[in-house]
Amino acid sequence: MTRRRLAAKVLAEALVVLLLAVFLIPFAMVVVNSAKTSKDILFHTLDLPANWGQLFVNIGLIFNNRTVHYANAFLDSALITFFSLAVIVLFSSMCAWALVRTKSAWSTILFFAFVAAMVIPFQVLMFPLVRWMRVLGDLIHFKLLQSIPGMVFAYLGFGCPLSIFILHGFIKNIPYELEESATIDGCSQARTFFEIVFPLLQPIIITVLILNGIWIWNDYLLPLLMLGSNGAVQTIPVAVTAFAGAYLKQWDLILTSTLIAMLPVIVLYLFAQRYIIKGMIEGAIK
Amino acid sequence: MQRHSLTKALFVLPCLLAFVMVMLVPFFYGLFYSLTDWNGVSDSINFIGFAHFGRVFTQPGFLYSFLVTIAYTAINVVLVNVVGFALALLVTGNLRFRNFYRAGFFAPYLIGGIVLGYIWQFIFNNAVPALGAALASQSMQVSLLSRADAVIWAMSAVNTWQYAGYVMLIFIAAIQAIPVSLMEAAKIDGAGYFRRVTRILIPMTANAFTITLFLTLTTSFKQYDMNFTLTRGGPAARFLDQPVNASQLLAMNIFNTAQANHMAEAQAKAVILFVALVVVSLVQVSINKRKEVEQ
Amino acid sequence: MRRIITMALALCLLGGGALMAAPTTVTMMQLKVEIKDALDNYAAKYSAAHPGVTVSVETLGGGADFGGAIKAKIQAGQMPDIFVIEGQGQYNVFKDYIADLSDQPWVKDTDLAFKQNGKVYGFPVSIEGYGLAYNADILKKAGVDPASLTTRAAYEKAFAKIDGMKKALGLDAVVAMAASVSGGMWWVAGQHNLAAYWGGGLAADDTSVIQKALKGQVDDARFLQYAKYVQLLFKYADKNILLNGSYDNQVGSFAQGKTAFLHQGNWVDPNMKQLGVTFKMGYAPHAFLDTVEKGLYLFAPSWYCVNPKSPNAAAAKAFLASIAMTPDGQDYMVNQAGMIPAFKSVKLQPKGQLSQALMAANAKGGNYGVFFGMLPDGAGQNVFGPIYDLFAQNPDNIDQFVSDMKKAIAGLPKM
Repeated sequence: MTRRRLAAKVLAEALVVLLLAVFLIPFAMVVVNSAKTSKDILFHTLDLPANWGQLFVNIGLIFNNRTVHYANAFLDSALITFFSLAVIVLFSSMCAWALVRTKSAWSTILFFAFVAAMVIPFQVLMFPLVRWMRVLGDLIHFKLLQSIPGMVFAYLGFGCPLSIFILHGFIKNIPYELEESATIDGCSQARTFFEIVFPLLQPIIITVLILNGIWIWNDYLLPLLMLGSNGAVQTIPVAVTAFAGAYLKQWDLILTSTLIAMLPVIVLYLFAQRYIIKGMIEGAIK
Repeated sequence: MQRHSLTKALFVLPCLLAFVMVMLVPFFYGLFYSLTDWNGVSDSINFIGFAHFGRVFTQPGFLYSFLVTIAYTAINVVLVNVVGFALALLVTGNLRFRNFYRAGFFAPYLIGGIVLGYIWQFIFNNAVPALGAALASQSMQVSLLSRADAVIWAMSAVNTWQYAGYVMLIFIAAIQAIPVSLMEAAKIDGAGYFRRVTRILIPMTANAFTITLFLTLTTSFKQYDMNFTLTRGGPAARFLDQPVNASQLLAMNIFNTAQANHMAEAQAKAVILFVALVVVSLVQVSINKRKEVEQ
Repeated sequence: MRRIITMALALCLLGGGALMAAPTTVTMMQLKVEIKDALDNYAAKYSAAHPGVTVSVETLGGGADFGGAIKAKIQAGQMPDIFVIEGQGQYNVFKDYIADLSDQPWVKDTDLAFKQNGKVYGFPVSIEGYGLAYNADILKKAGVDPASLTTRAAYEKAFAKIDGMKKALGLDAVVAMAASVSGGMWWVAGQHNLAAYWGGGLAADDTSVIQKALKGQVDDARFLQYAKYVQLLFKYADKNILLNGSYDNQVGSFAQGKTAFLHQGNWVDPNMKQLGVTFKMGYAPHAFLDTVEKGLYLFAPSWYCVNPKSPNAAAAKAFLASIAMTPDGQDYMVNQAGMIPAFKSVKLQPKGQLSQALMAANAKGGNYGVFFGMLPDGAGQNVFGPIYDLFAQNPDNIDQFVSDMKKAIAGLPKM
């Protein structure tokens, strides 16, 4: 290695570490302030916590809070996220595959309808959405508001355009010969998809899971609209706002509960990172 | 063949059903409301045609929001993509711990809402001025969030912090898809690093740019959450001789309108936002696609 | 990428909620997170004492947009039996869902019920109020008698004196005042401070000034005095808090003894407790006129309304009556929730220092009415908010402020 290349390398390392610090400082602030009392958060924001034990005190306060059922909200959030991801992945890949493998006008129109919908601002939809969900629920005698299935249905609707878009790009690049030979062997279309195509989608599905997972886990407005702030079903972001009054904000509990809510996403991301990038390489980009 | 079409139709059905019920029907509901005088509560809904659409364009506050949203989007599209691409270049280089760095740069995408706004507000309003005092820099002691001419840049910086890592992932994928032999050949031909980036990397990742530009464009145009938690639209500025909110993006203008019980007018503004976004993104995608073809 | 909207959107449209009522479940929706625990407990106690009736309370957090929440409830077909309105604007929007409460037993025990054309439609949740809160210890050290602060000239002298002693007193600035759009504090200036112009120095029920404004007219001489008072506050305010500060910054500065005055109401009492404040404090009047003013601003910030379309309306009315008329209900209001009751027969005292100061003022009389609730929806946030923000950026330009405000008021009839 020449001296010049070594210098360039050191410079790049230094730069990347510096940038990383800039990117992570806000996180450090969440962690550090989660281990403080509200008073210290307001008056000594930049200081290190006097006592890291306060972190566990705050965690205890959150899980033992009589009026905010954080543990329940955690479970509801997990269930909603899990089932939403399951249906989004399953149905979006089925839909994307059917659209790719059908050469007709309607498949093109449908695909563009999904892509165009990604542009619709949520603001246009939110006011009419709740009203329509009630009418629809009454019509089919199934509670869409304040229920986990209703929530999952809504996430399928909002999540499928981007997912189909990503999957569509991936499936286009799967050689058709694979499926053709299966069809010739007498395999039904459904079996062809589930036994041959679906397993090939694994890397891109991880991308779809992560992107939708982050969104659904952190989403605030849709659950608030559809579940209410104090209903039987509640998600974490909605529960966290109960720590913030109009005047008195319990910053100790807000920050600590946010930290707890962030952990599962970060851990999952760290595990899945390799697949995300792999999925993107083989997917949307091509 | 008949059975094949049936299977495929059934495969499309679940997504299509949810999509129609959750997005399309409310969307057309919304279009309808924008042509009425509905206040959000009352059962009396009168059809008034396009009256709202004419009226909102006479409001300096709305016009300003429209313009500032375009400016904000333009800044973001450049900043997020430049930073994201630069990060991708860095972490695809020959570094130790590059997976760790990638995770770190992506991490801001995981955080959101109240906490994001609170922390950045603290950084802009307290930490930076404190640093400015220590460095005896007069200009750093005035919070960027209180300067009408700078607030959009501060918001863009936070937005870049949040989205650059995400865009970076897409670029990483695109860069890794370039055959190594191509870069090696250029190197042997004596092309410097900068030249390799501009002549090979950027053209070869043109399709990634189509996607990242589309994503940054649409998210910036629809931005609400960070706008609300960080600046709430402030500070005030003067536009067409009327006080307006210097950083109030369109989405927030829509919300404040709806909050003041002008629900139908808010719907009309939302429809305008939608139309503008469709036009801008169509232009962007078609330009990019043409560029891709040229490569 | 789909995560377009998050937490912050709290402010608009919220929905869902308590399960659709079984015949005897009274649903209630309210927005004071501060009293959530106390109210939940009282509701449970009441439910236990009244077999066959269950009261279920939904509390909206995050300083959320309550009007939007109720709208979503109506859309979802889940209008609660008891809900809150904050003034005339919301009354107008929700009037189809608001029952006449004129025949209720608590009506003659309060002056602050929500009335419309002689009929009572709202149960006053509490009394809130404000003046200019002061740190008594600092004023004493500075040699300023708070009782002397009854004219703008007196304030001018006192502010200048304290400003000169800032170092000795350990102050950042004289006043903790927030007025910025970015800090979310437009309401301190555009609602509470501006209320001085609407009602200051007048009889508590004199709405002539705001009635005029609703027709688009301004009392020039009175407004100029008011504008000078705003200028005075802005000039002596901590600049960071004024231009950027959040509620926490503003209250925190006063609680740490870094400012001598605080422009906030008695709702800061729980904050003071949280921040471990030990110094003495009280309220001085917002004396903006050239003549003497001694009153504070007292008002009911919100009212409980009953949904007449609900089959549980009678049970809902009985629950409200129990809050005002039974010892348990009064204990809940004052001791548990720390509120100042709006009912004259209640003899209990809240613990907060500023709440006590307000109660004393209320007993003494001569206070002023607060009428910003009569303005069209959005006037405070969308119209007045940016005007005050601009004035705060450049407090010398009082002419611009006056002309902006006159223009804004002239536009009120069209809102």
